[in-house]
Amino acid sequence: MIFITGPLYAGKRAYIRSALGLSGEELARRAVWDVQERVPDETPETLAEELAEKEIVIATELGGGVVPVDARQRAQREAAGRLACLLAERADTVIRVCCGLPQLLKGDWPCASG
Amino acid sequence: MFTLIIGGAASGKSALAERAAQTLPGEKVYLATMEVFDAESRARVARHRAARAGKGFQTLEQPTAVDLATLPAGANVLLEDLSNLLANEMFSPAGGGAQAALRGVEALERRCANLTVVTNEVFSGGTDYAGDTLSYLAELAWLNRVLSARADTVIEVVCGLANVLKGALPW
Repeated sequence: MIFITGPLYAGKRAYIRSALGLSGEELARRAVWDVQERVPDETPETLAEELAEKEIVIATELGGGVVPVDARQRAQREAAGRLACLLAERADTVIRVCCGLPQLLKGDWPCASG
Repeated sequence: MFTLIIGGAASGKSALAERAAQTLPGEKVYLATMEVFDAESRARVARHRAARAGKGFQTLEQPTAVDLATLPAGANVLLEDLSNLLANEMFSPAGGGAQAALRGVEALERRCANLTVVTNEVFSGGTDYAGDTLSYLAELAWLNRVLSARADTVIEVVCGLANVLKGALPW
């Protein structure tokens, strides 16, 4: 599994489409994104197990701001962070995209033939 | 060895900091700075204690003036975390402000053989904050910069993985 993380609108999907030469339809078939939004409904552990079976998993980093005053938002942010850690553990490759630029954190760079 | 570990909320900072501290020599001391005042902070402490269990850390609580902690000679200290320490120094009656936080960490560094400090990336959520929060952010960012400049190793933690910003991984 390839796990891609990075801030909002950082170019995460654009990066993996370009790296693997995927059309929008192919991306929709092979990848799931915005998985951080699913944590209020499922535990990070359950979700990570389920998502580990996917080919490409994309999440937006939520943990880089001031601790939210609202308890629900705090809990969701914590759960999203845990989910990202669990996904990174299970992933073969982890890439962080920042202003469109990919940084390899684990494994090997993905390529279209791979 | 002085190591600074920075990361966002639930980024895996603690686990990585514990791992880093475990590679260093000296009696391991976990210096906890968070003041426990509600169920949520109690649960956080319980989670962190469970994660540290069996790793050989002695836990000391020191919400302000971290250099006053009673340390064994040649201690290998893991301070968690700078953001709570700064908040206590700035906003609690016992505190002495951001300068006191820095002086405390500097004195602590001189007193122990190895120091690992955990701090927070809280600077990517916009700038629209009220005065107290904004001045807290400015002081924390200043502390991070001053301590990064002094540190031998600075590691950013991203989803549990190390992104080395300065120096080399201790393992």
